[in-house]
Amino acid sequence: MNIIVCYKFVPDPEDMQVKPDGKISFEGAEWIISDYDLMAIETAVRLVETHGGKVTALSAGPQQLSSSKGKKDVLSRGPDELVLVVDEAMQTADTHQTAQVLAAAIRKMGEFDLVLFGEGSADLYFQQVGLQVGELLGVPVVNAVSKVSVENGRLVVERSTEEDVQVLETSLPAALAVTTDICQPRLPSMKEILKAGKKPVTEWSLADLGLNVHALRSSEVLAVRPPDQVERKRIKLSGEPDQVVQQLLNYLSKEGVL
Amino acid sequence: MTKEIWVLSEKESLQAELLGAARFLAEGLGGTTAALVNGPAARGDAAFRQGADKVYHLGESAEHMMEDFLPSLVQAVQQYQPAAVLLGATWSGKALAGRLAAVLHRSVVTDVKKFAVQHGQIEATHLILGGGAVRVERTLAEPLIATLGLGVFEALPARAEAKGEVVALSFVQPQTRWVLRERKPKPPASVNLAAAKKVVCPGRGVQKQEDLQMMFELAQLLGAEVGATRPLCEGLDWLPRERYIGVSGAFVKPDLYLGIGVSGQVQHTVGITQSRVVAAINKDEEAPIFQQSDYGIVGDLYQIVPALIRALQARR
Repeated sequence: MNIIVCYKFVPDPEDMQVKPDGKISFEGAEWIISDYDLMAIETAVRLVETHGGKVTALSAGPQQLSSSKGKKDVLSRGPDELVLVVDEAMQTADTHQTAQVLAAAIRKMGEFDLVLFGEGSADLYFQQVGLQVGELLGVPVVNAVSKVSVENGRLVVERSTEEDVQVLETSLPAALAVTTDICQPRLPSMKEILKAGKKPVTEWSLADLGLNVHALRSSEVLAVRPPDQVERKRIKLSGEPDQVVQQLLNYLSKEGVL
Repeated sequence: MTKEIWVLSEKESLQAELLGAARFLAEGLGGTTAALVNGPAARGDAAFRQGADKVYHLGESAEHMMEDFLPSLVQAVQQYQPAAVLLGATWSGKALAGRLAAVLHRSVVTDVKKFAVQHGQIEATHLILGGGAVRVERTLAEPLIATLGLGVFEALPARAEAKGEVVALSFVQPQTRWVLRERKPKPPASVNLAAAKKVVCPGRGVQKQEDLQMMFELAQLLGAEVGATRPLCEGLDWLPRERYIGVSGAFVKPDLYLGIGVSGQVQHTVGITQSRVVAAINKDEEAPIFQQSDYGIVGDLYQIVPALIRALQARR
C-alpha cells in the first residue's frame, strides 16, 4: 500500500500567551507535531507493517516546518519519506487554502492508496482539512474513524458517530480522518531516531505547486481576542490541611453546592 | 431574490437550535429560513413547527447515509443560492460541511458561538486555539458555510399549526460511495459528565494511577462524577476518553467543579467555564487554575485530599 499521512506542525498550544493588550502570542513557543496527528502516523505505519508498501508523511506550513528537529521527529515515527510544502503564506492559511495546497502536493506526488489525517489540529481544531482534501481529490472520504483494515483490496472502517458505530466499506484510493483512540502511538526507538536523518526529504514551495493561495481566500479574519473571562472570586487558602479543608467546605456550604 | 438561510441536521433537537440562529440571520438580512430534511414528511412538519419558512426535501431513502446527499445538496445550493448553510456540528454535519465547502471552493466557519449582521454581511464568532481565543470572521462570498454545536443557540418557541412550501429536491447519485455494512451499538458510556451536578477532576499532579482511587472515593462522598484532564485519558490512559474535559472532550456545567492537581491550561479550562462554582487544589501557588477559581487551596493534594475525605466523612 502507498499511504500518505498528513500532519500539521504547530506552536505548542501550551506556550500560548495572552499579552496585556489582549493579543495572542506564541513568541518563543516550541514547534511540535500536532499531537492528534500522531495517531494518524501510527495508523499508517501499522497498515504498511501488515500489508507492505510505503508511508510518506506530508505537511504544509511556514519556515518552522523545515527545521531539522521537526523533520527528524516525524521520520523517527516510522514514515519512509517526507514531503514538505514550505511557505510563509501558510501561517495564516484557512482550511480551504490548506486543503488546496495538500491536494495539489498529493497530485504531484503521484499514485496513492490511502491518505490519512488526524482528528483535528492541536491549535485550531477545525476538523476540516482532511474532509476537504478527500473531496478535492475526488476519493471517498470520511471522518471519526476508530478502526481501519483492508480486506481483499477493499477498505473497511469503523466510524464512531454520536449514536452508533457505522461499519463502512469502500474502494481504494480513499481518505480518512482518524480519532485519537484508534491507536496508541509508539515512542520512537533510538534506532528509528538514527535512521530518520537518512530518509529522503523533498521540499516544495507554493510556486512549485503552481498555486497562489491568496487567490483562494474565502474568509476574512476581523479580530482575534481572548474569550470573555468568567469573573471568579479567586479566594486562595493555605495552611494546615485540616484547617483549609474546613474553610473550603464552609465556603462551598454557603454557596449551596455541597 | 429573498435571501434564504438554510439549516441541515439529522438531529431534530439540533435542527431547532439551527433554526433559531437562522431566524436571527434572516431578520438581519431581510430574508427567510429554510430547513433541508430527509426521511418521512413528518420531519418537514417538525421543521415548520421549529420555525422554518420553507422545507427542501432531500428524499425518503432510509438506506442512505447523510453524506450520500452531498451531490443533491451541492446542486440545490447552486440552483437556489442561499446566503448561508448552517449545519449541526455532529460528525456527519462536519463531514458534509467540509465536503460541500471543498466543492464550492471555500472554508467552513466551525463551531460558531455568535452571529452578527453588519452592513448586510454575516460575521461569525468562533473558538480557536482550543478555546484560548475567539476569532471573528466574515465570509467573502456567499453562501457562508458554518457548523453549530448543540446547546449554543436557542430554539424558537414552537409554532403548533405552522405550514409552508415544501420543495422536493431530486437525488443526485454520488460519484464516491461508502457502503454501510452495519450499524453496531456503541459501547455503553460509563459516565455523562455534561449532566453531572458536581465534578471532581484530577489532573497531571496525580502521580500514579492507583492514586485515582482516592479521587473516586472523594467523588462518591460529594455525590460527584469523576472527570479528568486530557493527559490522564490520552497518553497515560488511566481513565476512559469519555471522562476527558476540554477542547476535544466534554464541556461540563456543574454546580461545583473541583480540580485536583490541575494546572489550568486553556485546552482544559474552556470545558469548565460554565461551572457555577470552581474550586481547585494545587501545590503551585502560581498555577493558572487559581485565576479561574472561586476557591483555591494551595497545598499538596496528597495531604489535602485525604483531609477532605476525613472531613466529609465526619460531616455525614
